[in-house]
Amino acid sequence: MEMTASDLWVLAQAAVISLLMALAAIAFGTLLAVALTPLAFAPWALGRAIYRLYIFVVRGTPVLLLALLVFYALASFWGRISPYAAGIVVLTLYLAALIAEVFRGGVLAIPRPLWDCAKSLGLPRLSILRRVVSPLVARYALPPYLNVCVMAVKASSVLSIISVWELTLASREIIERTLDVYRVLAVAALLYFIMCFAIDRLGRNLESRLAARGFAGERL
Amino acid sequence: MGQYRAWLEAYGAAFLDAAAWTLGVAVAAFVCALLWGAILFFLRLNGGPWAARTVDAYVQLLRNTPVLLPIYLIYFGFPLVGLLWPASICGGLALVAQNGAYICEIFRGGYKAIDRVQHDAAKSLGLMPWTAFRKVTLPQLLVYCIPALGNQAVLLLKDTSLLSAITVVELTMQAKVLTERTGAAYAPFLVAAVFYLFMVWAIEVLTRLAQRGVRWR
Repeated sequence: MEMTASDLWVLAQAAVISLLMALAAIAFGTLLAVALTPLAFAPWALGRAIYRLYIFVVRGTPVLLLALLVFYALASFWGRISPYAAGIVVLTLYLAALIAEVFRGGVLAIPRPLWDCAKSLGLPRLSILRRVVSPLVARYALPPYLNVCVMAVKASSVLSIISVWELTLASREIIERTLDVYRVLAVAALLYFIMCFAIDRLGRNLESRLAARGFAGERL
Repeated sequence: MGQYRAWLEAYGAAFLDAAAWTLGVAVAAFVCALLWGAILFFLRLNGGPWAARTVDAYVQLLRNTPVLLPIYLIYFGFPLVGLLWPASICGGLALVAQNGAYICEIFRGGYKAIDRVQHDAAKSLGLMPWTAFRKVTLPQLLVYCIPALGNQAVLLLKDTSLLSAITVVELTMQAKVLTERTGAAYAPFLVAAVFYLFMVWAIEVLTRLAQRGVRWR
């Protein structure tokens, strides 16, 4: 049996759900990362240890295992829960670790003299953070951040296994019904490729626009 | 506490078995992916413009799609052309296909980082192409590539968990089966996580050792 035009429409809808899951997780993950990154530079060793432990655990276990863990653990506390909610929680936890590392890299990339300059101007700590550190980190971190966004779209496919209906699960359903393996997967691959490629392109566009406003490349 | 002990006695062997599958698939796939990545990189470098374009298209396609797609492609697609291979082989092949693409990119990045002058120097010393590669290019390539390759090994190890979607009983699948069979809320997943973290830690240690082994002398 061959896939039909209506299957194509189903796949397109599923792709939108993949994208929405990824975007939600990127948004929440970025917020969590903003809260996590300062821990990496905390004056107390305990804070730094907590940060390192979080990164090691979340980056060292497969997303699928995290997904199953969160799905089953939440379900055991609250009874049945929506796989979509569990999926967004898992992707958020995972992306937060990746994004926090990206931000940490951005902070470390700030040249030492700039810190001294900011301090010698007598800026209060919060102003240094707001007016010196954040704009620089945004500039340094944008390319790897986009990379993480692309990974978010790809990682959302794992959620198909905890029964989140998105592009990968929809493809699998259609394959199991029609056995039209090659065509269905080609369409799914194309849809994923378009989403990932679009994020990459949009990001580069943003990069060059920031550059035009004085956020020029690596130079200072 | 006693409850956990009884639990471990009953299911410890099952976990060790599953961990062996995870590790076995990961090691075999990583070795093959290194070879496949090296072949792709060689083609890209020496195969003329069409080979380079084909390799680039392959790399871009696999880098921008999730690993589950090649896994399903091989697992569901091979039987249609008469190849009834075990799920672990199908899944392993998919991991090789995707990680080969990433590793090709790693080699490309490392190769670009080598100073042009080094190749010119090798040529002007009259070294044969193979000797020049072995004595000049390869040692420097390894220095640049080993950290990224270690990183890729960690990613590959984690991706073996996706083989649970095609019935391979590796760590993640075993944890899921035990959770459902024993009615444990989520403890088996924590045990599986400890196994993964230990393997990731081992890879990180090995990477550091390898890095020390190839440093400039």
